[in-house]
Amino acid sequence: MMFLLQIALFFRRKMLETLRQPVWVFMGISVPLLYMALFAPLLKPLAGGPGFPSGRVLDTFLPGILALMAFGAGMGAGWIVIWELQSGVIERLRVTPASRFALLLGGVMRDVVMFIVPALVVIVVAIPFGFHPHWTGIFVLLGLLALLTASVSATSSALGITLKEIGSLAAVVTGLQLPLTLLSGVLLPLSLGPDWLRVLAHLNPMYYAVEAARDLAAGTTASIVVSEGFLVMCAAVVAALWWGTGSYRKAMT
Amino acid sequence: MPVTRSSSDYAVRTTALRKAFRANKQQIEALKGVDLEVTRGQIFGFLGPNGAGKTTALRILTTLLPADAGEAFVAGADVRRRPQDVRRRIGYVGQIGGADLSATGRENLSLQGRLYGMTSAETARRVNELAESLDLKAFSDRIVRTYSGGQRRRLEVALGIMHRPEVLFLDEPTTGLDPQNRNNLWDQLRLLRETGTTICLTTHYLEEADQLSDRLAIIDHGRIIAEGTPHELKQRFAASTIRLVPKPGAVSLEQLGREFAHETFVSGLQVKDGSVQLRVTDTTEALAAIFGRLRNLGIELRTVSLTEPSLDDVFLQETGRSLRDSGEPVAKEAA
Repeated sequence: MMFLLQIALFFRRKMLETLRQPVWVFMGISVPLLYMALFAPLLKPLAGGPGFPSGRVLDTFLPGILALMAFGAGMGAGWIVIWELQSGVIERLRVTPASRFALLLGGVMRDVVMFIVPALVVIVVAIPFGFHPHWTGIFVLLGLLALLTASVSATSSALGITLKEIGSLAAVVTGLQLPLTLLSGVLLPLSLGPDWLRVLAHLNPMYYAVEAARDLAAGTTASIVVSEGFLVMCAAVVAALWWGTGSYRKAMT
Repeated sequence: MPVTRSSSDYAVRTTALRKAFRANKQQIEALKGVDLEVTRGQIFGFLGPNGAGKTTALRILTTLLPADAGEAFVAGADVRRRPQDVRRRIGYVGQIGGADLSATGRENLSLQGRLYGMTSAETARRVNELAESLDLKAFSDRIVRTYSGGQRRRLEVALGIMHRPEVLFLDEPTTGLDPQNRNNLWDQLRLLRETGTTICLTTHYLEEADQLSDRLAIIDHGRIIAEGTPHELKQRFAASTIRLVPKPGAVSLEQLGREFAHETFVSGLQVKDGSVQLRVTDTTEALAAIFGRLRNLGIELRTVSLTEPSLDDVFLQETGRSLRDSGEPVAKEAA
């Protein structure tokens, strides 16, 4: 009971923090919309070509954008953690009997919400532009990508606590972001790439999420690809939460 | 000292506490075997220069950092084996603050109360109580980022005592406060002691250690070099100086000095600046003896002055350095 209460308390604290910064909320929604507005037209000529078998560019492209949003929503967690280390908040909370896991989860859950809400906006906006939603698939997809956000968020927090420095964190996170997102085929399907690229992609956990997301967006909820996606994401979340909780346990300025 | 006291009689008890860090490929021994006993209900000060090991000691006692060796009991619980019990019984006010800057003071306090398992009604009551006693009322619903330094410190102290801890730890609580805010904080801490709370604080201000602590430990290079009440320490380690200036023509300084040179209560004698300066350990005894002797000799004085020893004298005597100049550049503690 106490444990659940603590999660709720930390979640509430984090949500209040976010809602007090309307810029974050605004950017969270406007950036993916810009992506669609500016990038989707580039894909038009590809319709019907290799990698876009259905001929519906947005149906292939949107799951990728959603995965990118899921990644981005979790990425910033480490910055906030470093800031909280420097202002002594984490030290103070570590002297209380509060669960370290609950402390981590408060931020992770906030990031998940900050992924799902803009994602729904983007999905709805995409419909008049030719996106064909399969609602069951969409909701399962959001669940899957929420796991991605959670693992990125917990990993970013753990990195923040370990590196303790905004500069190093920025270098590591942006350094990881590019290969992870490109090698998952978020923007362009990897079936367009050479063999070695596809082999490399299989080492990237995010690849499985994006593959599954494309199936789910197309309305296929029961496929091997989807179960693989969930399996890999569940493993990633467990590992990331484990690492994150361990870091909070030892956090030092 | 009673032989049969158990650890739970003490607010803090440590034996042979050790901690080392690696920094820049160098092993830095932050604590080299610290033995400490703090009885309940007092204000206990850790005095020492920056890098002496004060913060490291405090971090071990508050469960933030594991010790390498030795034992520590806080409020009767073993810091290593029962950290959760320790956490429930202590409060902590860190050096760098710790208030959530993007929340209001009230939100900060409410969260703190709920984390310690207080009900929301209980929490609300306690928040109002603290807002009253620490004078936070006027700004408790404002975002902490907008607070002044003194306001923030008061909120941070309120956070530390929200759950009425048995032992409150404060790391350099008055650093950066102006004299008025500092004196207010001292008063608050004294009031808190009246309610039975044990208070452990670190400081590098001599005046703070002297005025505020009931007992104190002087720490240098990871060791406790002296421990006792401020008065005891000054008595034990450092001598007062009695300065005698005879009336002109009454007696030569050399003659006057000779009269006291072999007295047992005099530990040092200098003739300088037109006066005879006697170092004495027991001031009361010495003054009585001096006046008795002078009356017998019929020597009249123009002035007599007495300089009490300061804690800096104690530090100087023990380490050969002055505490005021000891802000040596040591790798950031517990970094």
